Amino acid sequence: MQNLLMNKPCWLIASLAVVGFTGGISAGCKKKPDDGGGSTPGSGTATGGATAPSGGPVTLNASGATFQQAAQEVTIEAFTKANKHIKVNYGAGGSGKGRQDFADQVVDFACSDAPYKEADVGKVKGGEFFYIPNVLGAITVSYNAGVDKLQLSPETIAKIFQREIKTWNDPAIAADNPGAKLPATGIVVARRSDGSGTTENFTKFLEGAAPTAWKLKSGSTVEWPVDTQAGNGNGGVAQIVKSTPGAIGYVDLSDAKASQLKYAAVKNPAGKYVEPTAASVTAAGDGIEVKDNLVFTALNAKGDAAYPITAQSWCMTYAKQADKAKGEAIKAYFKFMLTDAQALLPEIDFAPIPKSLQERALAQVDKIQTP
Amino acid sequence: MQLSELHARSQHADRAFRVLAVVAATTVLVVLALITVTMSKRAWPVLEHMGLDFFTSSRWSAPEGIYGALPFIFGTLFTATIALALAVPVSLGVALFITQVAPPWLKKPMVYLLDLLAVVPSVVFGLWGVLVLSQHFGLGRSFLTAGIILAVMITPIITSLSREVIETTPQTDKEAALALGATRWEMIGASVLPHSKGGLVGAVMLGLGRALGETIAAALVIGSALGQITLDPYASGNSMPAVIANEFGESDGMHKSALIALAVTLFVITIIVNLVATAIVQRSMRRSRGT
Amino acid sequence: MTTVASDLHAKPSWRSARSAIMTGLMVAAVGAVALPLVAVLWAVIERGASVAFASFPDFFTSEIPVISRRAGPGMGPAIVGTFLVTGGATLLSVPLGILGAIYLNEYGGTRKLARAVRFMATVMTGVPSIVMGLFIYIMWTMRFGYSAFGGALALAALMLPVVIGSTEQMLRLVPSHLREASYALGATKSRTIIAIVLPAAAPGIVSGCLLAVARAAGETAPLLFAVGAATAYNPSLFDEANTSLSLQIFGNATSSFAAAQDRAWGAAFTLVLLTFLVTFIARVVTARFSRMR
Repeated sequence: MQNLLMNKPCWLIASLAVVGFTGGISAGCKKKPDDGGGSTPGSGTATGGATAPSGGPVTLNASGATFQQAAQEVTIEAFTKANKHIKVNYGAGGSGKGRQDFADQVVDFACSDAPYKEADVGKVKGGEFFYIPNVLGAITVSYNAGVDKLQLSPETIAKIFQREIKTWNDPAIAADNPGAKLPATGIVVARRSDGSGTTENFTKFLEGAAPTAWKLKSGSTVEWPVDTQAGNGNGGVAQIVKSTPGAIGYVDLSDAKASQLKYAAVKNPAGKYVEPTAASVTAAGDGIEVKDNLVFTALNAKGDAAYPITAQSWCMTYAKQADKAKGEAIKAYFKFMLTDAQALLPEIDFAPIPKSLQERALAQVDKIQTP
Repeated sequence: MQLSELHARSQHADRAFRVLAVVAATTVLVVLALITVTMSKRAWPVLEHMGLDFFTSSRWSAPEGIYGALPFIFGTLFTATIALALAVPVSLGVALFITQVAPPWLKKPMVYLLDLLAVVPSVVFGLWGVLVLSQHFGLGRSFLTAGIILAVMITPIITSLSREVIETTPQTDKEAALALGATRWEMIGASVLPHSKGGLVGAVMLGLGRALGETIAAALVIGSALGQITLDPYASGNSMPAVIANEFGESDGMHKSALIALAVTLFVITIIVNLVATAIVQRSMRRSRGT
Repeated sequence: MTTVASDLHAKPSWRSARSAIMTGLMVAAVGAVALPLVAVLWAVIERGASVAFASFPDFFTSEIPVISRRAGPGMGPAIVGTFLVTGGATLLSVPLGILGAIYLNEYGGTRKLARAVRFMATVMTGVPSIVMGLFIYIMWTMRFGYSAFGGALALAALMLPVVIGSTEQMLRLVPSHLREASYALGATKSRTIIAIVLPAAAPGIVSGCLLAVARAAGETAPLLFAVGAATAYNPSLFDEANTSLSLQIFGNATSSFAAAQDRAWGAAFTLVLLTFLVTFIARVVTARFSRMR
């Protein structure tokens, strides 16, 4: 079987050469067997109990949230290093795409910042599935306005993003920042051009925290005012904020930090201005209420130290796996994601999920059945 | 006996080959039919939900379930118009230069280079547009930036088609004009342009078809503003293919249907443009061949 | 009186001046075309080549970094993916397209079916690539998942009418006395087509197909929803998610990380190089063809 897989592309490439592509490719052809790890079974020696039973090569395909892309990336890197026979592809096409792909059984697992709507659960073709929460993360309100520190209340944020507040020295911003010297420059609002779970969580936060001021409702894309700038992905918004004086935009903490952006402290339900940090995100995680199916929201969480725009993300997989090798690999990957990989999250500015939630999530993973 | 068997076998092979060819040709019809049926079916819910408002409303709000495609249709047409306004004079100039002015030693490499440029992938133009043009030339992400990128992309196409058309001008026509004392420009105006008018219009229309359907470059530089209908070229806007590329991944239900309806709209517009172009080109070719 | 005289005198010089001005404008047009195109190619070469050759041949052979913000090479899987997707599309569309063109030119002629196919092929060349991408997503990806093959299907559908069109044109150029001579020797029609007509038109057909391949290799929109996003080598045409150079450029173009942008430029350089190479081969084939004739 493995040989068959190996031979196909070389045959293809050979026929390509006939049509005109020549040279260069033989390297890729020969390289495969020793770098895929298929030829070195039994190399799965990792820390913890998160090692998959080694066997033939397995590839897991996943798609979903861009929000937790970085989290998936570090998890995959560490996991595949320990389990050389397993490959994991995570396509960060957005939470909605993840949910759709998962429902259509196009992928083996999917990650999403929001659970399925009640009406859509029935459309998931593979039957019963589990929500496995794996990461908490802050969505920052990043800015480029020539001030070092900025405090914003939800109402002010709502008005800025609806283009009702158009300059940095607006009284509303000044009221949030007593004593600060604010520039008279105009505000440029940066937001996502693509549909996104980050947009969904950000707008849900505004809907919850500033219900009267916020009029655009919530969703993966909302009806942004015409004079806002759009960027593709968290990186695209970060790129605009970074390169445009006066810009403000919502970017996940991980990307905001890596892009060296400044971000505001945001007023939480307890009335405190809290900066997004690993600690304030963990604090938000302590104040959440979790349903039986592990669905919850970390937005506007209780607690003085909780950062209010804290988003959560889940990975979803089917309760009954159809393929033994894949099912085992998914179990091993999810266990790794909930244990060893949690420690990797702060490094990329995400927060691990709370201990109690972690235990419940692990119990769910144990329930995954393989043939 | 053996001979006739051989004969029969070769006849069988002959018929089989013919059937194979017919089947291959029919694939085109099958694929197009499938596209039309599947896409229309999935676009139908939103058209039922929105009615004609889908084409006339300028609000696009997924959370509220309002899908008005007018700004995107406008943006598509507006950027394509900017692209044509920039690309057409330049393409004609280059085509005339290659055919009428350039010395033979220069002509071949120029034609060759244009063919090469016609295959530069659009995503490469998009990359340059978003990282260089929009950031270092103060254009931002706007209709104009998208128009410029599209113009750069379609120029080689319009130029090489125009060149082929212009080259069909009979030498005798040109010599007649020159013999009457016409300058080079007068010769072009009197014999080259009238002769190739139809073909040139067709070339421009084919360029237009390209510009309308271009997705990636537009998605990267147009700015993705919602509800933008303005003739200010420096404003951010959006176009149908860019909206599809940006929002499809995160869409579900009615939103997905709305995006597929956008695709169908785009499909219909580009097909009309292409058919008109082909008709014009074929008619002018027939006329120039004198049949 | 004086005005008429001066008019007569001025006219020729004004006319030639106008001609000179228009010629000047044509030269300016050449400059106007050259400027942005040179700027694009220069950016691709300047920023791309330095990335691609930074530690040769790592960029062309290493896997794509899973963590996109991390600096370092790797477009190997995307190169393999581009070959798979484009190669698959070629294998699907070229035989079909050539057979279809054979039907149109050798059998169909002006028959109703042939006219319909010819017309619909023209319509099909106008289908925007993003529309084809959605179509394949609905027809294939929703059922069978991500794979290079989904992308190949989308590209094949885009290439098919192009191949049919260019091949039919080449077949039409084959003089009919060749066919008649073959029939006179007792050859059947299919034998005549395979042994006489196709070889005579082969260089033109190959060159037309290569140009279609070069265009297809750079397409992004049709692959967006079909191919997925692998970072590791996937040499299989049918199984599991894959990636391509064009998808990598698109994904990294809007990143705020310099490392990712660098990889986008490197991938752009590689892709442009590949498409130029194919176009160049097509040119060589055409040149040999015209010399033969």
